Amino acid sequence: MQLNSDVSGSDLHSEINVTPLVDVVLVLLIIFMVVVPLLLQGYDANIARTSANAAPAQAEESQLILSIVPTACRILEPPEGDGLPADCRVTLADREIRAADLPARVAELLGGRPAEKRVLFLAADNRLNYEGVLRIVDLAKSNIDDLTIEFITTD
Amino acid sequence: MRLGEPSRLQAVINVTPLVDVVLVLLIIFMVMAPQLSKGPDVTLPDTAKPRDQGDERSRILVTIDEAGGLWIDDQSFPADRFEEGLRAAAGDDPDPKVVIRADARLRLGEVRQAMLAIEQAGFHGVGLIAKRIGTETKGD
Repeated sequence: MQLNSDVSGSDLHSEINVTPLVDVVLVLLIIFMVVVPLLLQGYDANIARTSANAAPAQAEESQLILSIVPTACRILEPPEGDGLPADCRVTLADREIRAADLPARVAELLGGRPAEKRVLFLAADNRLNYEGVLRIVDLAKSNIDDLTIEFITTD
Repeated sequence: MRLGEPSRLQAVINVTPLVDVVLVLLIIFMVMAPQLSKGPDVTLPDTAKPRDQGDERSRILVTIDEAGGLWIDDQSFPADRFEEGLRAAAGDDPDPKVVIRADARLRLGEVRQAMLAIEQAGFHGVGLIAKRIGTETKGD
């Protein structure tokens, strides 16, 4: 056995070939550098005016309105934790329901419509916290695809 | 040297330090990358299932900071020059899409006002940017 030699008596090389690993890691690095900071996530929303130019294609009787008022759902400050206050209630099509029932109710009321007619009008108090309102929007959209959110504004 | 064998000089580069460096770079980028995006820092709202809003380079990025100040990309705009700024940002784009990064602590009224101004400037529909609960992004 020789000292100062990395081949000590055996021709078997038990080194892992790291070149493919390096390749993969470099490509991953480049993908992360390019893609990650630029992807956005969120919710599409429109502004609906209750004046003359309000959504003309939507027939009066089929409008589904979701109202959020601070007395029924206390979200004047950012909600604590990941969800909404447990006693949060909202009004959907003139019926007050628990916010937790929203996904099922919205899917039930709008699921039968073609995608372009799945519109939910949102009448939310201006004093409400933005994050709380977005969480309610998230609930409304969670069981149905292609739902359009229209913020109702009177001005 | 033993009999019957060619020279055993090995010209293999030692790649271990390279792999170390690259892995560390990868981790640094994974951690830092979300903070490289445009505009001031805001605490984005946490929601359960935000949908894909595409690539931020193809969007006009409106930021509303905690104090209610309006930003387009990296530039702050007073409310009275906001619409003008939006039109300038849209340039020649035939179908510009506006997204709003609004701070989670804002009131809905402040976001609604910005949405109205965007509508008034001739853009239809906005994306309200949120982040999935449990993920780390800019401003945390």
